[in-house]
Amino acid sequence: MGASLLDQVLAETLDPAYARAAQARAARDPSGDGRRGPGAVVVAVTMAAAGLLVGVTYDQAASGAAGREEVRGALVEDIGTQSDTIEGLSAELEDLRARVADAREDALAASTVGQRAIDDLDAAELAAGLVAVSGPGLLVTLADAEPDADADPVGGTDDGSGDVRDGDLQLVVNALWAAGAEAVSINGQRLGPTTAIRFAGEAVLVDFRPVTNPYQISAVGDPDELRSRFLASPEVNALAVISESFGLLFEFAQEDELSVPAGGVPELRSAAPFTGQPAEAAAGDSGG
Amino acid sequence: MIPVIGLAVGIALGLVLDPTVPLWLQPYLPIAVVAALDAAFGGARARLDGIFDAKVFVISFVSNVVVAALIVFLGDQLGVGAQLSTAVVVVLGIRIFGNAAAIRRHLFRA
Repeated sequence: MGASLLDQVLAETLDPAYARAAQARAARDPSGDGRRGPGAVVVAVTMAAAGLLVGVTYDQAASGAAGREEVRGALVEDIGTQSDTIEGLSAELEDLRARVADAREDALAASTVGQRAIDDLDAAELAAGLVAVSGPGLLVTLADAEPDADADPVGGTDDGSGDVRDGDLQLVVNALWAAGAEAVSINGQRLGPTTAIRFAGEAVLVDFRPVTNPYQISAVGDPDELRSRFLASPEVNALAVISESFGLLFEFAQEDELSVPAGGVPELRSAAPFTGQPAEAAAGDSGG
Repeated sequence: MIPVIGLAVGIALGLVLDPTVPLWLQPYLPIAVVAALDAAFGGARARLDGIFDAKVFVISFVSNVVVAALIVFLGDQLGVGAQLSTAVVVVLGIRIFGNAAAIRRHLFRA
């Protein structure tokens, strides 16, 4: 059935009506085609209609492609403009923040209550990781295990067991905080009180920004005290065992000069109208 | 000769006038063009076979275009528009190919 249908389509490419019309004409007028005049005009008009159809369709297709290109270009331009706007607004925000800080300083410096508020604020900003810190401290380095010499680098089955995980970094950071670190950063990414160290797929995220192997954790604080308390903490012992069994690189060194950048400005989550007791207001806000 | 001139005039008109086609008609234009091509090739072959008939040509042209567009429209309403478009293009494509082969045999005797 299917084959015969295809055969029919293949065999009967010419409309059978032509043959029938020719037969009828031969029967009627055996001498030949006598009425050609009007027929030729009608055929020409039909062909013109066909041409019109082709031209219009071509035009539509061409203009559609051009329109898509145009829309694409406009969207790309929009993205560029919006990026510029964001950049400008970010710069403006930075500038305004600096001016607010200056104005605050000026307003508070006049009175002793204000002076105390400034001190409280500075302490809170330091705790929140909003100011860059530099000084002596401890530099801890964690790195993924070296691949086996006979492992296939292309098709090898790397199960990730020799990779540093978010938990390892959390152990180190918690041990450093517990050992009395004032400021901690991972690969130049400052850790604040609310910064998360997470694992997403293959990448470790610090404050939702990816950091890559090797991981260098800088902790600013009294180096001797940091070192002794860091070494004594149970987290470090656990990590030493982990790095031993999985071949991770786990090193630390005392540094005389470490610098930790300022962290991102946290969202302002609560604010209260000024009631004349700036010290309390500052203490209430520092949790965010 | 006159039909070829008509075709050229039609194409020129379509390109120059740049008429705006209503949006609902636009999806059926390509399929209508394929149907028109089928009718045109059929007419050319009938001419070379010596059995051309103006009435048959005009009727086959109009019905081809309308039926092809209608089948696709119906398919669109039923949710199988793309498949029916393919069916129409396959059948008409086979016929165009067969007629083109017959025309070639007439013109080049091969």
